[in-house]
Amino acid sequence: MKKIITGLMAGVLALSAAPAAMAADALTLQLKWVTQAQFAGYLVAEAKGFYDEEDLDITILPGGPNIAPEQVIAGGGADIIVTWMAAGMAARESGVPLVNIAQPFKRSGLMMICPTETGITSEADFPGHTLGVWFFGNEYPFFAWMNKIGLATDGSEGGVTVLQQSFDIQPMIQGQADCISVMTYNEYGQALDAGYGPDNLTIFNYTEMGNDLLEDGLYVMEDTLSDPAKVDAYTRFVRASMKGWAYALENPDEAAEIVVEMDETGAAEFDHQRYMVEEVSKLVDAEDPALDMATYDRTVQALLDQEIITATPEGAYTTAVTDGL
Amino acid sequence: MRLSNLQLYLLLVGGGAAMLGLALSLPTLGNAPLVLIFFVLATLPLFRLAKPLSLWLDGLIAIFGAVALIASLPQGASMPLHHWLALFSAWAFAWLFVERLSAAIRAGTLPETGTSLIIPVIFGLALLAMWEVVTRGANVPAVLLPPPSAIGARMAAETGILWADFVQTFIRSVLPGYAIGCLAGLGVAILVDRSPFLKAGIMPIGNFMSALPIIGIAPIMVMWFGFDWQSKAAVVVAMTFFPMLVNTVAGLNAASVMERDLMRTYAASYWQTLFKLRLPAAGPFIFNALKINSTLALIGAIVAEFFGTPVVGMGFRISTGVGRLAIDLVWAEIAVAAVAGSAFYGVIALIERGVTFWHPSVRGGRA
Repeated sequence: MKKIITGLMAGVLALSAAPAAMAADALTLQLKWVTQAQFAGYLVAEAKGFYDEEDLDITILPGGPNIAPEQVIAGGGADIIVTWMAAGMAARESGVPLVNIAQPFKRSGLMMICPTETGITSEADFPGHTLGVWFFGNEYPFFAWMNKIGLATDGSEGGVTVLQQSFDIQPMIQGQADCISVMTYNEYGQALDAGYGPDNLTIFNYTEMGNDLLEDGLYVMEDTLSDPAKVDAYTRFVRASMKGWAYALENPDEAAEIVVEMDETGAAEFDHQRYMVEEVSKLVDAEDPALDMATYDRTVQALLDQEIITATPEGAYTTAVTDGL
Repeated sequence: MRLSNLQLYLLLVGGGAAMLGLALSLPTLGNAPLVLIFFVLATLPLFRLAKPLSLWLDGLIAIFGAVALIASLPQGASMPLHHWLALFSAWAFAWLFVERLSAAIRAGTLPETGTSLIIPVIFGLALLAMWEVVTRGANVPAVLLPPPSAIGARMAAETGILWADFVQTFIRSVLPGYAIGCLAGLGVAILVDRSPFLKAGIMPIGNFMSALPIIGIAPIMVMWFGFDWQSKAAVVVAMTFFPMLVNTVAGLNAASVMERDLMRTYAASYWQTLFKLRLPAAGPFIFNALKINSTLALIGAIVAEFFGTPVVGMGFRISTGVGRLAIDLVWAEIAVAAVAGSAFYGVIALIERGVTFWHPSVRGGRA
């Protein structure tokens, strides 16, 4: 009996000692998509202990095809989300007051590719063709672009037919769509593996066309920004994340390995993740996560032109976090 | 008109909550006059416990409470505590009303036709009123659960989109897929019934098909039949085929040996026996499968639209609407799907009553 009691006492002591060692600020990060090198900075920072150094306890939640980060944060399931600005602004207008606190991705990785046999060589060739587009918050840049070049997207005469595309390049390979959406760092790699390339593809790169809308930024709920302790935690989070990004871009092999290791679904493969780190490095500025105002203004203008949002957003971004780095 | 114990408790709970609410609303008297009137009205029946008022008055109190609460909902703030008491009280009175109404129908003091319809209507309205008051009263963000009024407004504003989606999903995908799947199931069942060899071969395959998850076959069907309604109809065929097969095979064995012997003594051929005896006898089984399939088909088509679709259709709108946080539109689609599915089921059930008029379950007047 005495043994049991001492055993229990020891157990209770051990349990009560554990939380005492973890007085770190707990934050939950909801990714926009599945665990992959698109988020290498955050995954590396977690694996390398950069968050621990900043006294943070970060939980990283992977996303997926049917997870809207905006809804997760509205339901209190996350503190910080990674999302595209168009989706974030649209959510802000729907009553989820999201605020951009940092923008590690400076450029867009979105492209539209068309096999040359479709006969599409320029925007003028689009009418009458079927274009694959991802929805779920990823459709805004495409519709902004079509709006800009004045093409109808409702399948009417002289316009284009839009197709809800799966998150791969199947529709192009099977000829169901004449053009498909790809990310430079993900599906474009699949297209290269399938024997497509610059010589048999017409590539419309949103950034090069000047039609890019800001992609993976970090967003939090507006009301949390009135709490200095929260802002401080966010600042430390962004600092550690940028350290993670810098490390990932310098050590792409190790970063890809970390991503594969941290992917609990087992779907991530090293070669593909290694390619993704390489491509993502062209979009991310690991030195400066501050929001670029020119791109911000263009993004907002495109959303207004296309009536995705009805009014110019007020207070949709804050420099409080990036200024404190 | 004595009250049963349950009714007495409900009256005490409803009246008591109203009394408490009345007391709590005294500091802020006059802020919400309608709710105040409700509190007074709902407290009054407590004084008539021995000889309760007419059950219709209980119903009126409940309805007035719901109207008063919805009319006094605050804008962009949470409801005060005594309003929650009013909600609780109105709910108790609604329950009391339905309870007394069904007791009166059972006792025969009220006719069944017509009055029995009131019960489900009141229940549905009570759910909608609770939903409205809770979501707006507790200030639930619209992206988590919009109030029914917002969903109704969205339905009225987007009739064009809802209609186009309905045509794409229901008329183009569900109906052809349902017809092909059910007819194929029926035809194969007759073949299987004739040949033991086929029975041994096809039934396991049918079993296997029914175990395939929709989300597994939907992308494959998109690869085979393209993005448009054809691939969705194919998913519906795959979903509806098996229930029809199994039910029809069972139904073809429903006619008894005695009846089949009688057909033989009439020198009836196989086909005559099939059409005059065995298929009619299988009617209840076949209609059972048709009813199961009517709901399965709609579910199948909607889920199939989560994978590669043209930019129209209920499933497309539901899946992408969540991503765009247009949650009220998602709920509007769900409401349309629910009504369409129920109507489809109802039509099949009506046809069944006409066709299998001889069956005991129908003769009793209940399908």
